[in-house]
Amino acid sequence: MPSENRIKILPKAVVCEESNLRGDITFSSGCVVHPSATVIADAGPIIIGENCIIEEYATVAHRLEPGAVWDVNNILSIGTHNVFEVGCQVEAAKIGDKNVFESKCFVGRGVTVSSGCVVGAGIRIHGSQRLPENTIVYGEQGLQREAIDKQGSQTLQIDFLRKVLPNYHHLRKPNHDPKKARSVV
Amino acid sequence: MEIPDTYYSKDEYVETASGNKVSRHTVLCGSQNIILNGKVIVQSGAIIRGDLANVRTGRYCVIGKNSVIRPPYKQFSKGIAFFPMHVGEHVFVGEGAVVSAGTIGSYVYIGKNAIIGRRCVLKDCCVIEDGAVLPPETTVSSYMRYTARGTIEGGQGNPYFVPAAMQDEMINYTKSFYEHFVRAPAPAS
Repeated sequence: MPSENRIKILPKAVVCEESNLRGDITFSSGCVVHPSATVIADAGPIIIGENCIIEEYATVAHRLEPGAVWDVNNILSIGTHNVFEVGCQVEAAKIGDKNVFESKCFVGRGVTVSSGCVVGAGIRIHGSQRLPENTIVYGEQGLQREAIDKQGSQTLQIDFLRKVLPNYHHLRKPNHDPKKARSVV
Repeated sequence: MEIPDTYYSKDEYVETASGNKVSRHTVLCGSQNIILNGKVIVQSGAIIRGDLANVRTGRYCVIGKNSVIRPPYKQFSKGIAFFPMHVGEHVFVGEGAVVSAGTIGSYVYIGKNAIIGRRCVLKDCCVIEDGAVLPPETTVSSYMRYTARGTIEGGQGNPYFVPAAMQDEMINYTKSFYEHFVRAPAPAS
């Protein structure tokens, strides 16, 4: 892993200072990171899409496989509008858009999450598999089925959090503006 | 039931005038919105989200290690609102529990790693087992036990699931937990 943390925060992202961030992480605009959330980029950069919410004690990790080293091209890309609820642990290989990882769920490495999926509270998914679009993982045995109706959007919650969190927390300053970066070039 | 003494170091916990014992390793967001009504223990790693809405707890509550107390939200057509959360007296919240309930009555026991979904209502004297997952908007009525399998068992006056003397037991348990949660004696020098 690189010797220093390289954390890029785009404008309009709300990243609390009390969150634990390690490695090369990019937060797109509109992301909300609650205090004591953890994002670890050990194996390669993590790019988090727009309007994602990462709540307390949630862990998003891109861990090294045994014997592997930091690789700049080994990017964990996380799509837009994902919600990582309290205490979830996500080490998935790839994450699409509009997924919800509920409280205390565990998604192991090797799982590819497409779009519109919901992983229920407390569920553990291991092994190498791909969750098709709109899958819901639920129940004690972790059964899977297709969603009947679409997930509601989280934009209202993000709007609220973006208003409230700056009143109570110290935020990491947005340090990367794509418009300015372009004008420099 | 006797509880062995649990010792904490003087540096780790702050004791307030009303007898609350709050660890320094907690994340109390929006502390002006959190009301602990005295003799409450908040153990290390616990998170109370007062920034989202008011949180009020009664006396003799125990908030276990690494648990998260988070007011529930509800989505309306125009934006969302977080609701204030009320916790009664003599409530025990186990380690690692995630509590997003709307109201919690008194004498409630919440086990380790339980997940209480949004806007759940826990009435007085109910028991949530370790590792139970309550879906959002669940109501657990008095003297009921929510099992880890996801069933609600017991019934009024059925002592097999929740002891009939739940109120007294929780009073004794939380009081003795508080009294046996003592500062480690200074090392003799």
